[in-house]
Amino acid sequence: MNLLSIWGDALIVCAVGIGIVLTVLLLLVFILNGFSAIVTNKIGFPKKSNKKIFATDEDFQKVHLSTCDSAAIATALYLLYQNDSEDNHQTITIKKIERRYSPWSSKIYGINNLVR
Amino acid sequence: MKRLKIVLLLSILSCFSLSMSAQTIVPIQEVETEQSALTIVEETSISEVQESEVPESLNLIESLKKLWEDTGFFKLNWLFVIMITVACVLLYLAIVKQYEPLLLLPIAFGMLLSNMPGAGMFNAELFAEGQIHWDIFIDKAGLLDYIYLGVKLGVYPCLIFVGVGAMTDFGPLIASPKSMMLGAAAQIGIFATYLAAIGLGFLPNEAGSIGIIGGADGPTAIYLTTKLAPDLLGPIAIAAYSYMALVPIIQPPIMRFLTTKDERLIEMKQLRMVSKTEKILFPIIVTIITALALPSATALIGSLMLGNLMKESGVVDRLTKTVQNELMNIVTVFLGISVGATATATNFLTIKTLQILCIGIIAFGVSSASGVLLAKFMNLFLKDKINPLIGSAGVSAVPMAARVSQSVGQESNPHNYLLMHAMAPNVAGVIGSAVAAGVLLSFLGG
Repeated sequence: MNLLSIWGDALIVCAVGIGIVLTVLLLLVFILNGFSAIVTNKIGFPKKSNKKIFATDEDFQKVHLSTCDSAAIATALYLLYQNDSEDNHQTITIKKIERRYSPWSSKIYGINNLVR
Repeated sequence: MKRLKIVLLLSILSCFSLSMSAQTIVPIQEVETEQSALTIVEETSISEVQESEVPESLNLIESLKKLWEDTGFFKLNWLFVIMITVACVLLYLAIVKQYEPLLLLPIAFGMLLSNMPGAGMFNAELFAEGQIHWDIFIDKAGLLDYIYLGVKLGVYPCLIFVGVGAMTDFGPLIASPKSMMLGAAAQIGIFATYLAAIGLGFLPNEAGSIGIIGGADGPTAIYLTTKLAPDLLGPIAIAAYSYMALVPIIQPPIMRFLTTKDERLIEMKQLRMVSKTEKILFPIIVTIITALALPSATALIGSLMLGNLMKESGVVDRLTKTVQNELMNIVTVFLGISVGATATATNFLTIKTLQILCIGIIAFGVSSASGVLLAKFMNLFLKDKINPLIGSAGVSAVPMAARVSQSVGQESNPHNYLLMHAMAPNVAGVIGSAVAAGVLLSFLGG
């Protein structure tokens, strides 16, 4: 009996739990879909001056780059920056370092600057 | 000059040692005087007074004996040896194999510290029966007990979530809200594992904590376990983080088994651009909806969304950088050490730990499989098909699971870029697992 009640409770927790998770996320899907539709002007509020930017998905795809194009551009940029950095490695740069006086380095300061 | 320095150094050392020996001798004389005075008063016998002076040589032996008994070597037993070995193995995995080193290293070291016999770094009895025993806390608490308070009170997981939110881009999810369902499907693994744990004889609250491993979300697992089954915190946290590190090994075979070649070849359309307004409103909307629907999930979801709002609003750059870096790192150290500290021999070396590790991997597999299967199911109705490989990213191991989808997708089609598409269910999984944790907490929290 006890075992049965434990299993009964467990099944209820599972069923209700999955239900709640799905419901909450489904609710968010609907809200986000509606919200996205408003923002992308699919159903939009009527405006006199604003025309729809993208009437269909095809229009959207025409304006925006395809995945392959984006990847190609990203790769090109990556290689460009990589080459830049390689060039930088080949260049010898000498940075001028100025040591300021401090009581902690007074000995070095004295040796470097005062001994002639 | 060198000789002079050596002579000076030796003289200072000798003076120091003399002063130390003088300090140690004086109290002994005082004690002896007091002891002898007491014996004179009580017994008034000179011979007995002399006898009372006899233990002078015995005291040294007893002191040495006591010193030996105080050392860890005396208290060491095979349980401690095993735990120290386990801690060292975890340290090896973190340092050499680099499995989630940011968390595994502090966890392993915390485990090492709390299993040092006699050190008293962590005292599980202060947190017995799911309560903090404040009446004995100040007297008995070790360093790790104080740090553990942050876990016990549910502070660290929420702070971690603020940092995670500040580092997460919900753009792909906003652009493709249907991906949210894949994140929800992956939570089925949590409940399936809950049932499996019940079947193995775990108590319902323990089963809930074990089930959350399937969510593949470390902070959520720790948060829920501290509330439901604090005794199992060590094994559950270690299982959760270990399996998260093993995502690239666990998931690909499941993904390949459940999908056909044609399905893996599916190329998805590029996601639309998401405006800043949408990104700012998203955390606010999600917080309101989830907090109203499930108040017990508010702490986790609210923290996550707070961090994200900070990032997306762009008006608190300093705070954003702090929660992304300093706060996140500090809390990670505290969380790791204190979680590791809970893995003491009595808690860890049980058959339950093995069961948890076994069920944990099943939880992970079921969660991954659920996401893939739902993606396949959704394809029956969708005009623009989705690649089922992104379904496995519904477990919230961000961004590892999304990377696995990308790499498995590119094995079949090198021109297929699934990463951003997989990020959508991946971040949805974080929300989903927090909601699932809220459900379990409200049902089983008592």
